[in-house]
Amino acid sequence: MVKLSQHEVMSLLIQLGIMLLAGRLFAEGARKLKQPAVVGEIIAGIMLGPTIFGLISPMGFETIFPPGSSSLVLDGFVQVAVVMLLFIAGLEVDLHIVLQQGRQAISTSFFGLVIPFALGFAFPYFFPDFFGYADEGKHLAFALFMGTSMAITALPVIARILMDLGLFKTRMGMLVISSAMINDLIGWLIFSVVLGMIGKGQQNMSLLNTVMLTIGFTALMLTLGRGLINRGLPWINKKFAWPGGLLSVSLAMCFLAAAFTEYIGIHAIFGAFILGVALGDSVHMSERAKEIIHQFINNIFAPLFFVAIGLKVNFVANFDLGLTAVIIIIAFAGKIIGSGLGTRLGGFTWKESLAAGFGMNARGAMEIILGLIALENGLINEKVFVSLVVMALITSMTSGPLMKWILNKP
Amino acid sequence: MRFAKIGLALAFSPRMKALLAETARLRKIWGAELVLIHVGNHTQQEEALLTVLLNAVGLADQEVKVLWRSGKPSEQILLACKNEKVDLLVAGALRKENLMQYYLGTIARKILRKADCSVLMFIDPTTDPQPIKNIVVNAEDSPYVKEAIASACEFGKMDRASWLHIVKEIKLYSLTMSAADQRTEDEYENFRNSLVKEEIENVEKMLQKIPHEGLKVNIKLVSGKSGFELSKFAQRKHADLLVVGASPRRFSLFDRVFPHDLEYIFADLPCNLLIVQPRKEVANG
Repeated sequence: MVKLSQHEVMSLLIQLGIMLLAGRLFAEGARKLKQPAVVGEIIAGIMLGPTIFGLISPMGFETIFPPGSSSLVLDGFVQVAVVMLLFIAGLEVDLHIVLQQGRQAISTSFFGLVIPFALGFAFPYFFPDFFGYADEGKHLAFALFMGTSMAITALPVIARILMDLGLFKTRMGMLVISSAMINDLIGWLIFSVVLGMIGKGQQNMSLLNTVMLTIGFTALMLTLGRGLINRGLPWINKKFAWPGGLLSVSLAMCFLAAAFTEYIGIHAIFGAFILGVALGDSVHMSERAKEIIHQFINNIFAPLFFVAIGLKVNFVANFDLGLTAVIIIIAFAGKIIGSGLGTRLGGFTWKESLAAGFGMNARGAMEIILGLIALENGLINEKVFVSLVVMALITSMTSGPLMKWILNKP
Repeated sequence: MRFAKIGLALAFSPRMKALLAETARLRKIWGAELVLIHVGNHTQQEEALLTVLLNAVGLADQEVKVLWRSGKPSEQILLACKNEKVDLLVAGALRKENLMQYYLGTIARKILRKADCSVLMFIDPTTDPQPIKNIVVNAEDSPYVKEAIASACEFGKMDRASWLHIVKEIKLYSLTMSAADQRTEDEYENFRNSLVKEEIENVEKMLQKIPHEGLKVNIKLVSGKSGFELSKFAQRKHADLLVVGASPRRFSLFDRVFPHDLEYIFADLPCNLLIVQPRKEVANG
C-alpha cells in the first residue's frame, strides 16, 4: 500500500492550514468591503499561487506546495469540496418556493436563462478562434458550455444582496430567488449533458444517451428518491443522535449519489446536486440541519476549493483583456436583458425589472465551479477559465451596488 | 369576516347526523341562513330520512333550504354554492386517504382544492358539538391571511376559546442564515434575533387591526415547509380547528406529486380545517 511519507503528511497539513488561514483573512477583508467571501478567497489563492508568491519566490512556492503525493491528496480534497459545494447548492433549491411563485417564476427564469444562454452560445459557436478553441470535434459542446456559463446564477450572493437591500421577503425578492433556483436546476442539468457529451477517456456517449440519462436520473431522484428520503429521514431523526446522524447520512448519500452519476457517465457533481435538491425538499430535513451543513461546507471546504483555484492557474500569464471584456459584456447583456425582460413581463416596473436583472447577474461561486470542471475536462483553456473567474468576481461585486443604484433612482 | 350563508354538503352517510348537528351549531352562532346540498338520489325515502335528521338536530322548525342535485358530486356542490352565494361550505372528510384516493382526489379533497368560497371540513363531527377550545391559524402570505386571522378570532371569541395560536413561517431560513454567515458572532446573533422580531412584529401589526379582545394569543414562528410545519404544530397543540387562507391558485395533480403549502395539510388533516376565502363579489366589495 502506498503511503504518504512523514514529510508529505506534514507538507499536506501545512498546505491545508495556510490555505484555510489565508482564505479566512482575505474573506474578512472582502467582508469589510461588503463583498462576498468568495472574492477574498480567490484573491488569497492568487496571492499564494504561481501568480504572486510563485513569481516572487519560486523556491518558497515549491517548498510549500511541492508537486507529488501531497499535491495529489490536496487535489482529492478539492474534488470532494466541489461535490459538497454542489450538494449545498442543491439543498438551497427549494421546490416549495418555486411552486409557490408558480408561472411568474418560470417566465422570469425562462428569459433569464434563454437569452444569456443564446448569447453565450452564439458568440463562441460562430467565433471559436477568438475564444481560443480549435478542437472541431467538441465545438458544439464548447459553445453549449459557454451558453450555460452565462445562464447560471449564484443564489447565496443574490440572497445576501436582497437581504442587505431589505428586499429578501418582498414579492420581487421571492421572485428573484425562485427564478435563480430554477436557473440553477436547469443550468446544472444542461452542464451535465455537456460533460456527458465530451465524455472522459473512452466513455464518449451520444447526446441522446446523455440527455436521457440525465433527465432519467433527475426524474427518478425527485420522485422515487425523494419518497424514499421522506420515509427514511424520520427514522434517522428518531433513532440516531441529532444532528450527527443526519449529517453523516446526508453526506454519505451525497457521495454515493455522486459516485453513481460518475459511474453511469454523467459527472459526479450532478448526482450531488440532485441529491441535495431531493434531500432539501424533504419536510423532515429541518432548516437547522441545513444551516449546520451550510456552515460546515461553506467555512471549511469552500475556502479550500476557492484558494486552490489560485494555486492551479497563473492569473497574470493567462489574462487576456479582450477575451475577458467580451465575456463580461456578454454576461452583463444576457442576464440583465433576459432576467429584466422576464420580470417586466411578470408585471413589475422597468426599474424593478432592471434591479432584478442586476441581481440575477451575480455568478459567484457557481460560475467558478463550472469553469474549473470545464477546464479539468479540457473543454476550455486557461485563458477562458481566468476570464470566467474574473467575470464571476465582477458580476458578484457589482450586483449589489447596481441594484441599489437603480432602486434609489428617482 | 362574517358567514351569512352556510351550505352543507349532504351525503346519507353514518356521519350525516353529526355533521348536521355541527352545522346547526354554526348556523346558530353566526345567525346564518342554511342551505343543504345533496347530490344523488331524491326519493321520498331520502326526504323522510332528512326530516327525521333535521328534527333530531333541532332544525325542523328553522328555515332551511334543501337543494337536490344530480351529476358529479364535487362539481354540483360547488356550482350550487356559487349560485346560492354561500359564504361557508361545511362538509365531512377523512383524516387521511389511501394512496390511490390521494392522487385521484375524493369529493372532500376536490371541494377543498376547488371551492370559490370558504370551506369548513370536519374530520370527526359529533352529534353533541362542543365549543372550539384551541385554534391554530396560519399567518402565511396568502391573499386572505387577514380574513383567516379575523375568522379565527371571531370563532375564538364566540366559542370563548382557550388559545389562539398564530403561526408564521420564517421563509428560507437556512438560505438566509447561510447568506448571513459573513458576520461576527454578535452580528450573527443580532441578525437571527432581528429576523424573529421582524416576523413577530408583522403578525402583531396585522393583529392590531383585528378585534381579538378576551382571546389568549400565542404567536409561534416556524421554519421549514410551511404547510407541513403548520400541520405538525396543530397536531402538537391538539387543535380543534386549523384556519388557513385559501391559495390564490387551484391545485392540480402536479401539486400532489410535489406537495407544498396546503397540500401537506390536505394529505393528512390534523384537525377540523377552515379554509377562508371571501366570495369574489364580497372580496371585490
